[in-house]
Amino acid sequence: MARFPIGQRIRARRLEFRISQSRLASEVGISPAYLNLIEHDKRQIGGALLGRIAKRLDIDRKDLSGEEEASLVQELEAIARNQNIPGLDEEAVRRMVAGNTDWARALLHMNRLYRGMSEQALALSDRLGQDPSLMALSHAILTQITSIRSFAEILQDIDDLAPDARQRFSGIIASQSDQLGSDAREMIELLSGDTGRPEGSSPEKETDDFIIWNRNFFPDLEYAADELRRDLGEIDDRLGVSIADRLTGRHGIRLTFDDGPTRVDGDALNVNCYAPEATRRFRHARHLARLEFAPQLDALVDDERLTQEESRDRAREALLSYAAAALLMPYDEFLDAAETERYDIDRLAGRFRGSFEQVAHRLVTLRRPGSDGIPFAFLRVDPAGNISKPFSIPDLRMPRFGGACPLWGIYEALGTPDRTIAQMAGMPDGTRYLFIARRIAHPSRGFRTSPTVHAIMLGCEADQAERTVYGGGYDRPVAPVGFNCRSCARVDCGQRAYPAIRRTPSRMAAN
Amino acid sequence: MPVLREESVAHRILIAEDEPFIVESLDFLLSREGYEVSAVSDGDLVCDAMQQLSPNLLILDIMLPSVNGFDILRRIRSLPEISATPVLVLTAKGQESDRVRMQELGADGFMTKPFSNRTLVEQVNRLTGQPVAGG
Repeated sequence: MARFPIGQRIRARRLEFRISQSRLASEVGISPAYLNLIEHDKRQIGGALLGRIAKRLDIDRKDLSGEEEASLVQELEAIARNQNIPGLDEEAVRRMVAGNTDWARALLHMNRLYRGMSEQALALSDRLGQDPSLMALSHAILTQITSIRSFAEILQDIDDLAPDARQRFSGIIASQSDQLGSDAREMIELLSGDTGRPEGSSPEKETDDFIIWNRNFFPDLEYAADELRRDLGEIDDRLGVSIADRLTGRHGIRLTFDDGPTRVDGDALNVNCYAPEATRRFRHARHLARLEFAPQLDALVDDERLTQEESRDRAREALLSYAAAALLMPYDEFLDAAETERYDIDRLAGRFRGSFEQVAHRLVTLRRPGSDGIPFAFLRVDPAGNISKPFSIPDLRMPRFGGACPLWGIYEALGTPDRTIAQMAGMPDGTRYLFIARRIAHPSRGFRTSPTVHAIMLGCEADQAERTVYGGGYDRPVAPVGFNCRSCARVDCGQRAYPAIRRTPSRMAAN
Repeated sequence: MPVLREESVAHRILIAEDEPFIVESLDFLLSREGYEVSAVSDGDLVCDAMQQLSPNLLILDIMLPSVNGFDILRRIRSLPEISATPVLVLTAKGQESDRVRMQELGADGFMTKPFSNRTLVEQVNRLTGQPVAGG
């Protein structure tokens, strides 16, 4: 770190005490000429002399050592450079820090605040880009501002405007301002439910974001899973057994099966005895990943965007499932099979002895650059419509809160057990997506308990549909749907739950 | 419903925009500049209206019902009789990726809402090769 010239500070302090240069010089045992050189930063000092001057001027020695100032100069100079502020070279910054240290500190503090706010704005803009309701609202608000601005400029700039035109344009400004106010209030309501601010995020949302930031692909876990599988030997059909053997043999885990939930109890791992074979294998693989991939998991969840302990715990749990899938469905082999089987999820489940849900999740993770599968978005809903695990791709945004369009295949799937729903969904703007949905139920554990029911859905661009068993692109019937009611232009839809944001009564009348 | 006007010898502009107040303000501004202005509000009708009217410029909103602006522009550039028409793209999204995509598809100009009347009129005059009219 560069030494900071402290001469100006000594000089300022001396003048404050109204001590002459020659008197201070004599009191600290140097010549006035030497002190003059020090005060003009022509000589750097330290050690005993610095101590004597500090003592005489009643100033803390460390305040004269210049370390804080040097660090301030360094940071402020970096800011000036990064922000392209002209005329602020190192010397100018030094002068500012020496003359106004408090202001320099304040400037640094404000820059930190600014950076924090910029990050929040980015997070918010990301949230706006992700959510169809917010996108529709922001579009509506910008449209209203455009009308208001345009008519206001007309009223202002055009002197010879006919009185009836003037009256009509003023009326439009008033009505659009009303609409703007109500849309802005609606946006605040939506945002107050989920502001997109990192510190305000729930652990669930932070975990969803964590998966999205990583594009749902974790090369370190893929590598660790490949290594572990190699270590387990040539296994194929015996993979589940090998994993169980490793758990018991190497880690001393007792594998138990009772009618309670899956849990770790001391050295015992219990899997519910009603769980199907695929679930049992997956639970064992997951536990093995927990025991053997700790360093990789620790490194991955050490992410500053996971701001709470609970978020890191949730992210770790999500990564354990990822690792288990990577272990049971090896990337290259699985991708190869997916292409061969044309993404037939049931056939892949048969080949890899997994469940429909496990295979669907694994398909979403085939994002290795240069060796990737069809880009899929993912969504899960429960019978009450609650959304979880949303994963978007650039061209298909899944809702992150609120509801999706009730006409999406995922809701039909809830009512049609044991059948995969394939839907060519047409959006109001003409874009099309292939949706593949299925109801997933975990069996009840006896008469007194209810089964757990969800529906899951994969979505991809219609162009990719040809690559799948679920149907060719543009020839099949298209179901007219939307993203959700608020952003949907289909005014005559019988399933509409909320009025659309973009179609206000005044606009309808004008249309 | 599309609002189609009769052709005239003046420079013709077609507006593809589903927000009626924006259409109204553009109609007012551009008519004052001496342009003959027509408008369609549905993406499906844009190409037909262009073939019918042969406008000197299309002002195209990205977010239209039925067919979005990207697909419309792609279609226009593939139809020989209208493919050379300059297209000024309006968007409320204003994202760089939209702009790049539209430029690749052959957009001639790009305006992000909210825009100033003056800038819009200047862009229109530039793209139609029209000297700026008085007023």
